[in-house]
Amino acid sequence: MRYCLRPCSTVANLGRVSKIGTPLASKLDPRSERFQQNRDAMTHLWAEVAEQLASVPGIGGRRYVDRHRKRDKLLVRERIEMLVDPHTPFLELSPLAGWGTQDPVGVGIANGIGVVEGVECAITGTDMTYRGGSMNPSSVTKGQRFHEIVRENRLPLIVLNESAGADLPRQVDIFVRGGESFRNLTQLSRLGIPSITVAFGPNTAGGAYTPGMSDYTVFVKERGTAYLGGPPLVKMAIDEIVDEETLGGAEMHARTSGLSDYLAADELDGLRHVRQIVRHLRWQKLGPGPTEPADPPLFDPAELMGCASADVRIPFEIREVYVRVMDGSRFEEFKPLYGDKLVCGWGSIHGFPVGVLGNNGILFSEEAAKGAQFIQLCNRTDTPLLFMHNITGFMVGSAAEQGGIIRNGAKLINAVANSSVPHFNLMVGASYGAGNYGMAGKAYNPRFIFSWPNHRIAVMGPKQLAGVMDIVARNAAAGRGVEVDEEKLLAQTTALENQIETESTALYSTGRMWDDGIIHPSDTRTVLGMALSAAHSNEIVGATEYGVWRH
Amino acid sequence: MNTVAPAEHRINKLMIANRGEIAVRIARTAHRLGIDTVGVYSATDARAVHVNAVDSAVALGGQTAAESYLRGESIIAAALAAGCDAIHPGYGFLAENADFAQKVVDAGLVWVGPTPDQIRILGNKVAAKHVAIAAGVPTTEITEVAPGSIPDGISMPALVKAAAGGGGRGMRVVRTPDELADAVEAAAREAQAAFGDSTVFVEPLIEDGRHIEVQIIGDSFGNVIHLGERECSIQRRNQKVVEEAPSAGITDETRQIVLAGAVALAKSVGYQNAGTVEFLVGADGTITFLEVNTRLQVEHPVTEAVTGLDLVELQLIVASSGSLPVTQDDVSITGHAIEVRLVAEDPTTGWIPSTGTIMLFHIPGDMRVDTGFDTGSEVSPYYDSLLAKVISHGRTRGEAAAALARSLRTTQVVGISTNANMLVALLAESDFLAANTPTSYLLDHPEVEADTGVSGDDRLALLLGAVFASEFSSRAADAVTGFAPSGWRNLRTTGQRQEWNDGGEVRWTELVMGHDTADVLIGAWPRAGDDGSLQEDTRRHVSVRLLDRGPQHQVIEIDGIRARVETVVDGDSIHCRSAAGVASFALEPRFEVHRAVGPGAGPVSPLPGTVIAVHTEVGDEVTEGQLLMVVEAMKMEHQITASADGLVTEVLFAIGDRVTQGDLLVKVGPP
Repeated sequence: MRYCLRPCSTVANLGRVSKIGTPLASKLDPRSERFQQNRDAMTHLWAEVAEQLASVPGIGGRRYVDRHRKRDKLLVRERIEMLVDPHTPFLELSPLAGWGTQDPVGVGIANGIGVVEGVECAITGTDMTYRGGSMNPSSVTKGQRFHEIVRENRLPLIVLNESAGADLPRQVDIFVRGGESFRNLTQLSRLGIPSITVAFGPNTAGGAYTPGMSDYTVFVKERGTAYLGGPPLVKMAIDEIVDEETLGGAEMHARTSGLSDYLAADELDGLRHVRQIVRHLRWQKLGPGPTEPADPPLFDPAELMGCASADVRIPFEIREVYVRVMDGSRFEEFKPLYGDKLVCGWGSIHGFPVGVLGNNGILFSEEAAKGAQFIQLCNRTDTPLLFMHNITGFMVGSAAEQGGIIRNGAKLINAVANSSVPHFNLMVGASYGAGNYGMAGKAYNPRFIFSWPNHRIAVMGPKQLAGVMDIVARNAAAGRGVEVDEEKLLAQTTALENQIETESTALYSTGRMWDDGIIHPSDTRTVLGMALSAAHSNEIVGATEYGVWRH
Repeated sequence: MNTVAPAEHRINKLMIANRGEIAVRIARTAHRLGIDTVGVYSATDARAVHVNAVDSAVALGGQTAAESYLRGESIIAAALAAGCDAIHPGYGFLAENADFAQKVVDAGLVWVGPTPDQIRILGNKVAAKHVAIAAGVPTTEITEVAPGSIPDGISMPALVKAAAGGGGRGMRVVRTPDELADAVEAAAREAQAAFGDSTVFVEPLIEDGRHIEVQIIGDSFGNVIHLGERECSIQRRNQKVVEEAPSAGITDETRQIVLAGAVALAKSVGYQNAGTVEFLVGADGTITFLEVNTRLQVEHPVTEAVTGLDLVELQLIVASSGSLPVTQDDVSITGHAIEVRLVAEDPTTGWIPSTGTIMLFHIPGDMRVDTGFDTGSEVSPYYDSLLAKVISHGRTRGEAAAALARSLRTTQVVGISTNANMLVALLAESDFLAANTPTSYLLDHPEVEADTGVSGDDRLALLLGAVFASEFSSRAADAVTGFAPSGWRNLRTTGQRQEWNDGGEVRWTELVMGHDTADVLIGAWPRAGDDGSLQEDTRRHVSVRLLDRGPQHQVIEIDGIRARVETVVDGDSIHCRSAAGVASFALEPRFEVHRAVGPGAGPVSPLPGTVIAVHTEVGDEVTEGQLLMVVEAMKMEHQITASADGLVTEVLFAIGDRVTQGDLLVKVGPP
């Protein structure tokens, strides 16, 4: 009789472990000039991102941060640090939302995925130091994206709330669509996804429905309040003069109205209550756990810094990314000799099996058809899909059109649109035009999208776009029979190219929440692992039905 | 070791009527001599180490000594039933009980010890003094105290002692004549309670004396030899802590006087078997005979170390009517031996005894360790607190002390507090090393007792061992994101902050992990000042490389200095050991569990009703649970009590008032 003293998976039991794929070789030379140029350029781009990230916790300004601390209150990220299990990772989502907009970077809420009592939870908190934690148009968008993530991945939701409500002067861009968040909370509840709200401060007006629609509420004594109308409004409306505590204080809600399920002695006690609640949920993930050997890649993920071309117009080998992301650098390539500009195949990341599609150039008919077939195969085996975007678009031209590029492209879009396994987008380069759609871009509802700092996204490259507009202008002029003002057209074209260049950057994209965050390329494996693990909180079920295939 | 002369009545099977280290130690010699052993054990000791050290063992039941190891009749019956032909009593329990010894002999068993008569005579300190005086042994005059009387003409300072027993019970120091009456009365009362004999006597108090004792052994042929002296001056409340042989603090002249005196005394009573003659030697050289211990002493190993003899072997030989296999001329003293008593008591908290399960028992070094404990043993409150005796033998006293200190520095007993730190401090203390060790040594050196062990960067290395052990076990326990780098953040504001309890003091650490490196900030993180702004960060930053890690060890390089830390993780307590020493750290809980949050402002009415009694008024200091008011509602009388201690600031209703549900009835402010 032999005993296994340590928990042994079937994998560990086998003398020779069978694995998906075989190790890929790398041709990347970290000493080459090109690698070093790429790495230097990426380092420079990351420095810009890092600087933005560092600014986020202080967007409220020193004065308001100090005032918050003076009141013996924790900053939102300090609350999160105290809430999550020690030494576990925390993946903040859309940390630079709002970049380049009227709203500050981060938009005044912190969203992310962290581990509480051993359970991956979606955690969101308001930053009271920025305009009293009030909602702005970007924070509404960021919140709605977060609710999507919560619902699709089936993550228990923890809300660390204190908010003055809507930023009233900006109510036009907030009020009407803002109501969705309360609908979301109750629909999450209907789906069996619990929400736990802690009131650290005011929950005013519509904001009062955040605790109102939550499964569990914790109010911090003498701090948390909730009322539909604050004392000034009550005085205005019904001429009642009342203090905050009587109107909507934590004690009142805990003892009298019943809105508060737990009365916390202080902020830390509130977080303790949350942990206790999560503990009793006895949460079980519905997806299979990691099933594959999770050995690290054979090649250093830090070399991802020099993999991608600094200039998105210079192609690079997508397999160099694969060997630094996949477990053991293993990859089983599908149809390697057909449609070779879309590199498809199977592997695993931190033990989670994935089907990967990555671009080694633009999409032709073959690539589109191959991708569609691969996506169907992965759906058949409930295998999540990872799309690595480095795509400047579908092939154009008469040969392509006559070869049915639209018909074949339609297959790919049919497949990605109707695929039901989780999709993960990793933007490692350009994502232009219909290529973005074919690669299951934002509009195709991927579970998560993460970008490298060199990412570019637009309907097409800035030069092409400006060039197209140049030709259109010349044609229009010719049609009207007028002379082209070369100087003026050049100025227009240059200005347009610059505008598109600016609007195509990773920061611009993340600012508009076209992704869920820019990540350091070296962190790719960690981030994808966390995203995959979060996605496995829900069941993984592939699609069997699609739209009509245009054969 | 000398060979054994053929015994006339060979002992074949020995009952060891004791427990702990001494039972283990006796069994070891017995087995070497080909003697089978039978042990005894209380219910508490069923899984004790000594039970495994004997060939078979007999359950005595019970927990306390009286319920178990003092049940002489049962022990004799068990010995007979098991076919034993001798009983070795060890020390303590029945070792100096003349009546028990007599019963053993009467049962036809060999008693490994002096004769019952010798025990009886020498066990009484007053009688022993007379024997000593008669044998010409140096001693001071004693004054016997008739029951109920108070002696006069006593020179001060003096010591009142019980005639029976020992261990400091029934003993009183008297400095002025007016204290004498109370001291005699108290000593007599204590002696009666402890030993059933209220006889006391008075002798001159020798201060700054040294406790010198002579090991003797005699056989039934009238041979008595000494095996040199021991010094056991370092004591705490008359409990010996450090013992050594030979004494480094007496002159050769004194040595010859005590050795000869001890032999003379023993010979005068025809002493058989092992015994110890105790003296006090004053700073002025005054020698006073104290008493004879008619048994094997706890500290006998130091004598064994310097003489190369096995005292238990000699005991067994002479008990079985053999003659002593060594003569006085054969006995020579080689080098110096020091024994320390590792006890389950914490000197830094007034020697509070510590009980519980030993999670790890580790005494390193190449030296003799006599113990009845091991990893997994229980330390119960029913027996004495001795965990182990560690005995070092060196060419010189300094060498023995250094080796012993080195061993004790890395001695680790997890789960139980010990005096190890104090012993290490003592062994390196200058007065100790200079042999300036009067019996008042520990009183003169409070810093030795207060020592908390390894300090400075060596302690920091242990703390970091705890930090990384905790981190390692946390990561191993993460079932969902265990793959991710420790404490990974894509937007980092702080590292992993932890508060550690280091022997009552708080230590703060903030950790940012790299792949095989870490940055640690040591010290309190900046807090907000009065204006809310963070105070200046003055923490020490250390860079750590993680060289080798496992569930029970962390090999780390701290700012370029390598340290290997062995760790035992017991929940939030982490016990660490490096070559520099040991320390335990407890992770402070992140959250305080508050009592259910009570009424903020005071007690409220549970139902709509009427106040029918008021039991308090403004200004009353009330305690939690105190009745304040009675409200009648739904035909029930509801007692309204204070939810916490406090001061009544307002009584909001009077008898007869109607109250509704939730009405605050009495305002209670902070006390």
